[in-house]
Amino acid sequence: MKFQEELKESIRKALPELDVVIGWCGSFDPLHATPHFIYGEEDIEKLEISPLNVHNLATYLPGMRGKKVGVVVKGCDSRSVVELLQEKLISRDDITIFGFPCTGVIDQSKVKKAIGYVGNVQSCDMSDESLVVVVDDKPHSLKLSEVLAEKCKSCRYPDAIISDYFVGDRIAKKDPAEPNYKELEKFEKLAVSERFGYWLKELDRCIRCYACRSACPLCVCRDHCIAESRDPHWLSQENNVRDKLMFQVIHAYHMAGRCTECGECQRACPVDIPILMLKQKMNKEVLDIFNYEAGVNLKDTPPLLSFKMEEENITEKDW
Amino acid sequence: MTLVKYLKSTDLKSWLAELAEKNSVFAPRYEGDSVIFAPFDPEQEIYTKSAATVPPKKTVFPQSEKLVDFTYHKDPENPGKTLIDGKEVLPQGTTVVFGGRPCDVRGFSMFDRVYLTKETTDIYYKARRDNTSFITIACEFTESTCFCHWVGSSPSDPIGSDVLAVPVKGGFLLTAVSARGETLLTSKLLLEGKPKVEEAEEVLDKVMENLGKAPDLSKSPGKLLEVFDNMEFWEKVSAKCISCGTCTYLCPTCYCFNITDEIQGLKGSRIRSWDNCMSALFTMEASGHNPRPTKAHRLKNRVGHKFSYYPDLHDGIISCYGCGRCIKSCPAGVDIREIVLKAIEFMPTVVEE
Amino acid sequence: MPVLEGKELRIVGFLCNWCSYGGADTAGVGRFNQPTDLRIIKVPCSGRIDPLFIVKALMNGADGVLVSGCHPRDCHYSEGNFYARRRLEIMQKFLPILGYEPGRFEYTWVSASEGQRWQQVVTEFTDQIHKLGPAPKIVGPEASDTLSLMQAALK
Repeated sequence: MKFQEELKESIRKALPELDVVIGWCGSFDPLHATPHFIYGEEDIEKLEISPLNVHNLATYLPGMRGKKVGVVVKGCDSRSVVELLQEKLISRDDITIFGFPCTGVIDQSKVKKAIGYVGNVQSCDMSDESLVVVVDDKPHSLKLSEVLAEKCKSCRYPDAIISDYFVGDRIAKKDPAEPNYKELEKFEKLAVSERFGYWLKELDRCIRCYACRSACPLCVCRDHCIAESRDPHWLSQENNVRDKLMFQVIHAYHMAGRCTECGECQRACPVDIPILMLKQKMNKEVLDIFNYEAGVNLKDTPPLLSFKMEEENITEKDW
Repeated sequence: MTLVKYLKSTDLKSWLAELAEKNSVFAPRYEGDSVIFAPFDPEQEIYTKSAATVPPKKTVFPQSEKLVDFTYHKDPENPGKTLIDGKEVLPQGTTVVFGGRPCDVRGFSMFDRVYLTKETTDIYYKARRDNTSFITIACEFTESTCFCHWVGSSPSDPIGSDVLAVPVKGGFLLTAVSARGETLLTSKLLLEGKPKVEEAEEVLDKVMENLGKAPDLSKSPGKLLEVFDNMEFWEKVSAKCISCGTCTYLCPTCYCFNITDEIQGLKGSRIRSWDNCMSALFTMEASGHNPRPTKAHRLKNRVGHKFSYYPDLHDGIISCYGCGRCIKSCPAGVDIREIVLKAIEFMPTVVEE
Repeated sequence: MPVLEGKELRIVGFLCNWCSYGGADTAGVGRFNQPTDLRIIKVPCSGRIDPLFIVKALMNGADGVLVSGCHPRDCHYSEGNFYARRRLEIMQKFLPILGYEPGRFEYTWVSASEGQRWQQVVTEFTDQIHKLGPAPKIVGPEASDTLSLMQAALK
């Protein structure tokens, strides 16, 4: 990326005042990136900005309170930072935000689907529109648009909406003005029994690792999640689909009016359960009822933390 | 003389259907975008190209299992007293697991050293272990995350398996590697295997070549102990860990569990379920004290257990078979190989006095 | 929770201590006829109701859930029901995606003096749930346990 060097320069400038800067670097093969913790000058060179940088690094911030932390953010990640600030879960004085214009990230599940079998990845060359992945000496040419994460296709915040350093040229706000819920709306048209069956079938393979929760930047209860508490006893430890589904409802509800739809829950899921849809549904209703979007304005109060005496968009049942 | 047979891919389902007459049969298949082990269903495609997303660990060590069913009732002699009726629930029936990989199946030999010792026998584990056979597929391809050859195993390691299936043109060459394996190879659908032996050997030679050279891990037990108290080391290598349980739950050699009573009304069950050392609750004590308070302590335990403490107790055997799932499926890209190598290469900075 | 099989359905009601529980009591004292499907759980305030109670009840076998609190501006704790209204409204709109029909869950306000209104609410809600019939139930630990039953019911 063109502005990668510029970003390294900014980090170099800011680092003496900071304990650590979190960015990304290459991982176990050329098709993957991983979060990269920069402690000193010698770590800066490894930093890489690429469409492989799927991780939302805001996830680490609440756990690092009290430290001076720099964080590199994509547009969507910056919304999580804003939401954390709105809720006073992190302090603005402690964090330094590095933003850049993001053109989207790659969905590894889509790459897997397109290539069929991703074994020994030897190289991965990316340009603005395509990538060529060489697996076991065989090159696979993919269009970037084919393997772009769904959320990126209708991204409305490609530039970090809050930053102390911004490198590169801003892409400026993209169309559409409203979030895209077409897939969700299609699902909502299914018969109720089909919807019910869908979730049971999908959640059956959940292994209850709670990666969805751990990867979520706004799941800040961390070691005190009600999923594992014995008293109150919300969930049993049994391997049953009811508890698995119940947990997803817990997650979605605890995200109501807070979720910035970064999609980390779904990306982190080791068995690819499409759980983002539940959060999208919640967001769609929040937008509908409260005309509110999480993590776009520092001064906003999340809707479930406030109320109005007269609610314009709530029509109660007339008995 | 070892029993070798040839199975045509087109006969695979019929063969599994035969086996399913007397056993419950598990085979890997796609569910959504993941490959998991599910009860054999002739309607569904079986996936045999590479290792499944989730290993078949649950067939011997279920995600959760009932140990005892119990009910509460009043003592008719003394109504002020509550009695409990308990009934042990032991696993029943025989199981055949098709399509695990050597790294998946060898994992159980690790369990055996813990659950089936001279002093103690875990009866629930034993019942399943004794009644489960494995038809394992040797790997024809390797992935970026594979490192079985680092830890004393190989893509055709037969330990723990009953039948080893090597992919050859048009099907599999099946080799019985246990007495139980021989009884699995009696079907009329199976053809003489000898003509395919040479081809199978070539497949295995090629895959070993692809894996490349393995680093020497013999020093890992001692080296990991040397950095045990170096929390700065562990904080750095665990910085990106997000403390989920993906690595442990997908690990074919992780065997830790939790026991809880799940009660509804007057009925309940004592269950055993997977536990994971990445969770803060894993070591949380009743007093509120937690000896592993941070993710650095917890990841240290995971790496240390597999590459140091276990080998110290069990003849130097590393309790990891290099399936690479903890690397591939980690949402944050934590790489256990990298941590072990860092520990081996770690040189304490000399402080001049 | 025992029900009269074939006649009653399982309906769970969460009622606030100060208004709606009193309202239900008033209806009882006034001997207003009411259907008997509802089982009441008293809570200190509608603001105490975690909307997850509703989901938990449905997933554990309830066919309908009714929440009732003090009328807005009448909350014993001034603003509990204002918060509740937002939370409950969101959950009500969310439930259909899981495969629960809209109408399985309703919330309303009944004061301690409104015995007649309580009678009306209970009667109408019970009627509504009976029209919907039993809610989808999760049986057994594996999805296939429930899915095969659902398939059999369709035949």
